[in-house]
Amino acid sequence: METAKTRIAAIPRKNQQGFFEIRMESIGGLGANVAGKILAETGVLGMGLNGSNFSSYGSEKKGAPVKAHVRLCDPDTPIRNNSPVEHPHILAIFHEALIKTVPVLQGVGPDSIVIMNTTKPPTEVRTILKLHGGYLGCIDALGIAIAENSRVNIPMLGAISKASGFIEPESLREAIKKVFGRKYPQTVPGNLKAFERGYHEVKIELFPPDGKYPYQPFVRNPSRLGYMNQPIGGIVVSAGKTKEKDLSPSRTGFIPVLDLETCTHCGECDYACPDYCFVWEKGVTKTGKEAIFLKGIDYQYCKGCLQCVWICKPKALTTGRESDHNVEEMTVPHPFREKLTK
Amino acid sequence: MDTKAARDIAKQEMDFLSGNEMAALSASQINFHIMGYYPITPSTEIAENLDEMKAEGEHNIVLIPGEGEHGAAAICYGATTTGARVFNATSAQGLLYAMEQLPVQSGTRYPMLLDIVARAVSGPLDIRCDHSDIMMALNCGWIILMAKDPQAAYDMNIIGVKLGELEDVRLPVMVTFDGFFTSHQKRRVQYFSDKKVVQDYVGSHPPKYISVDPKNPITIGPYMNDPDLINNRKQLSMAMEAAYNRLEEVFESYYQLSGRRYGILDTYQMEDAEVALFILNSAFETSKEAVDKLRAEGFKVGVMMPNVIRPFPAREIRECVKNVRALCVADRQESYGAWGGNMSIEVKAALKDDMDNRTLVISRVYGLGGKEFYVEDAMDMLREAFVVAKKGKVEVPFEYVGATPGDLSYIPEQIQSPLTREDTSPHIISLTKDEKTGMLDVKGVSGRPLNEMPKRISQGHSACSGCGIFPGLDTFFKGIEGDVVVLFHTGCGMVVTTGYPYTSHNVTYIHNLFQSGAPTLGGVVEAFRERQRRGEIPESEDITFVMITGDGGMDIGMGHAIGTALRNHKMIILEYDNQGYMNTGAQLSFSTPLGHATSTSHVGPYQSGNQLQHKDTAQIMAACNIPYVFTGIATQYRDLIKKASRAQYYAKNEGLVYGKILITCPLEWKSEERIGLEILQAATDCCFFPLFEVVHGKTIISYNPEEKGKKVSVTEWLKLMGKTKHLLKPDYKDVVEKLQKEVDRRWERLKAMHEHPLL
Repeated sequence: METAKTRIAAIPRKNQQGFFEIRMESIGGLGANVAGKILAETGVLGMGLNGSNFSSYGSEKKGAPVKAHVRLCDPDTPIRNNSPVEHPHILAIFHEALIKTVPVLQGVGPDSIVIMNTTKPPTEVRTILKLHGGYLGCIDALGIAIAENSRVNIPMLGAISKASGFIEPESLREAIKKVFGRKYPQTVPGNLKAFERGYHEVKIELFPPDGKYPYQPFVRNPSRLGYMNQPIGGIVVSAGKTKEKDLSPSRTGFIPVLDLETCTHCGECDYACPDYCFVWEKGVTKTGKEAIFLKGIDYQYCKGCLQCVWICKPKALTTGRESDHNVEEMTVPHPFREKLTK
Repeated sequence: MDTKAARDIAKQEMDFLSGNEMAALSASQINFHIMGYYPITPSTEIAENLDEMKAEGEHNIVLIPGEGEHGAAAICYGATTTGARVFNATSAQGLLYAMEQLPVQSGTRYPMLLDIVARAVSGPLDIRCDHSDIMMALNCGWIILMAKDPQAAYDMNIIGVKLGELEDVRLPVMVTFDGFFTSHQKRRVQYFSDKKVVQDYVGSHPPKYISVDPKNPITIGPYMNDPDLINNRKQLSMAMEAAYNRLEEVFESYYQLSGRRYGILDTYQMEDAEVALFILNSAFETSKEAVDKLRAEGFKVGVMMPNVIRPFPAREIRECVKNVRALCVADRQESYGAWGGNMSIEVKAALKDDMDNRTLVISRVYGLGGKEFYVEDAMDMLREAFVVAKKGKVEVPFEYVGATPGDLSYIPEQIQSPLTREDTSPHIISLTKDEKTGMLDVKGVSGRPLNEMPKRISQGHSACSGCGIFPGLDTFFKGIEGDVVVLFHTGCGMVVTTGYPYTSHNVTYIHNLFQSGAPTLGGVVEAFRERQRRGEIPESEDITFVMITGDGGMDIGMGHAIGTALRNHKMIILEYDNQGYMNTGAQLSFSTPLGHATSTSHVGPYQSGNQLQHKDTAQIMAACNIPYVFTGIATQYRDLIKKASRAQYYAKNEGLVYGKILITCPLEWKSEERIGLEILQAATDCCFFPLFEVVHGKTIISYNPEEKGKKVSVTEWLKLMGKTKHLLKPDYKDVVEKLQKEVDRRWERLKAMHEHPLL
């Protein structure tokens, strides 16, 4: 097959099948899918390589965990593999909170480079991640995105380009111009600046595997239920089981903050909340009547939509930056959480 | 695939596209007259891409959204009778729902092209790939081509049109590629630079009998019993044989044009293979990797796939495996109880016709419901076939590969105490009937105390941030006391609450596909009552039955909902309307308002968003003369709770209730999450979504924004959403005026109905 470019980029590292592989771990809405598309398209159309790109599909809801996969290889290497990237050369984590609920490090070995969107330095991030060993790059992609009026995915692309050592920044710049230029030409300069900053500001450190944290192998089938113990017909017998879930990684920086001093306990917030986060308790009013009183917010389920702030007339609920608060301390757990049998 | 020297073939462009993008591109270049379609994952993107291209003026295909796949197939059938070239795309249940129409298409011999983006057939609902859908279609009289990658999706669509329209063939054609693996994976591909090359290749479509030529009146589809139908079927069989005989020639002509050669069989290392794997589509590519690995270990193995399964290439398969000692036929579906998938049954049958054939065949089922197929899986299958070859006998003729027994120490059970009737009957609300007027008075509805009501839906669902479904449903359920059983149609509300092995439902929940929820719950209601009557269920059990549907379910399921309403089962149908098929990526529904942008009503130089005025579902249901119809929004929660309370009364005592709530979808409305309730209020204040009830045929407006001095123009509502921001530009003034006019007309009519008891 003809290739678009006569000059073909050299891929420095390949797996057994001849691929350089990238896995992106994100939540819906941060643009990991677009980043994967730009990367792979750049490899194929801009750098003369062969490649494939796809995302994890299912219920693609905003805030839900998603993965994007990129494979690049020499132009004459066929791509016959359709399955997800298990042992990435580059793992890009778009959203720090995700590491609480998704085993992002699976299959990431000492030869992998991890790029993380964070304000923290690599040594600290290594501990949070429990990284076995390897290169770790930290980049404040969110900060850059806000400053340059871009999105998290673009500075992440810059950092990935730098870390890869072969995905050419000039080709990626062209791709960014092409992708955004068609529909949103006014966003091109900001995105290019964000890309530049991602490329130059990523701090990469090497952590040799020192035995502090174990390697996490990739698990292909994590399900405990199989044909010997699934209730027949796909029936779910555990009513309300999603109560066990932690939805806090769906938040993208903002939380409602409740001031009980100002609260009139009118209860309208509960009517606005899609995630049923408001916790009530029984009590007695000043006039001696039995009533329920708002006790607080269970942030385990809060996705930060802030509709409660909109509806709150006395302004007891206000918008706060999650990073300015100790959400764990502020959380008032729903009483049922203690009673759940696992 | 062989390739030809570039100078001998038509000029092509290289790109990086997915299977769905390539399918849409081929359709755009062919420039079909009509595409009748209905959105279903993972095939929907084909129509979306075509709609986007149309808004940019890249083709002239008339894109017609059906009210369901059955309707879409019928649109296609009608269009083909005129001599038009017609296209459609679907998956899984969509194919099954359309299936009644498919033998009509082939039996009356009108060619068309239908892309099947293969997906597992429900239930339980699974949106990922297997071949259980396409194998159901084997007996429909359609040619079925297989496309193993995005390039083949493009090529086979062009080949399919050419083949199906041949004078001695004249059969409709399906092109099948794997959902997600092929439909959504982007690959390096090529396409013809000039669409004229494609159009010249397929040629003009010479129709034989057309329905729109008054000078030649014909009867299409007569009443045709014995002794004649068997001969019509013999003709169909002969056409299939003609297709078989002409495949090589069509593949060859396409090779001359494109440089890409498709054989009737695609084979890899089969020349000297002692052991082989027969496997379809994307898994065929994966298996080549396994063949290379085993060849490196010294095993003589190969892999094969047919590029066409109807007609079934029995001849070529016999020839290909005549020296193969053991063959594993891997099926991505099972013909339950037949000890194999359809391909293994057919391969075995094909080999039986060769008296000299000694190939031993094992049948393996793999990759159901999108389960990944790994190189190691293919290697295991080939190794197993090697053992069979060595032993000279088949010990395990049929087995599943990749199914897991599970962790037997884990038995799922209840994690909480079930809600009791006492819990859910706090008696905060009181409902009394005015004996004179017969109207129901609801008292005690107050925001704060009702937060004591336990939620029927639990925390932890995976809806998008700011989703309007959940405030809407919870507010409604605050007005429903006691035990409830719910049924959800397919849609966002279903998907985000029931991802296996989790559920967000604290009460018993049933899912059914989104045309059939209403009669399903009707069946539950009647059987519950009958079992009570027979003493099998205690008389004391008292359940309110509520069906939850999106506006999509009231499109595809409209007929069923009307039937259920006319039967007047004692149940509630509650529709949450977010003005589109949001679960599958925001395609338009009949409830999408005029001018709104969706993924199948793009805005561009040649198109200004949705072309149709929104459907008035409440009035359709009111025309069924059911006891109670209402509309509501969560912003006006007291009103909605009162209506819920009345709904429960009518559903328990009189019959069917229908309610429609408008809910916000920040993701697809492209609106700020925090102002969801404000948008709903604006939709109500501009009278786009008026709040009213119809009680025994009498219309009562529950909130009149004019009387409250709150009436605004539709623009005040439209300006709050990204999907309508184009409508604020002067270019779209006439669209907004048309919408305003229709909103005003319906509102004036509603006021007249409110004034006059007979209207």
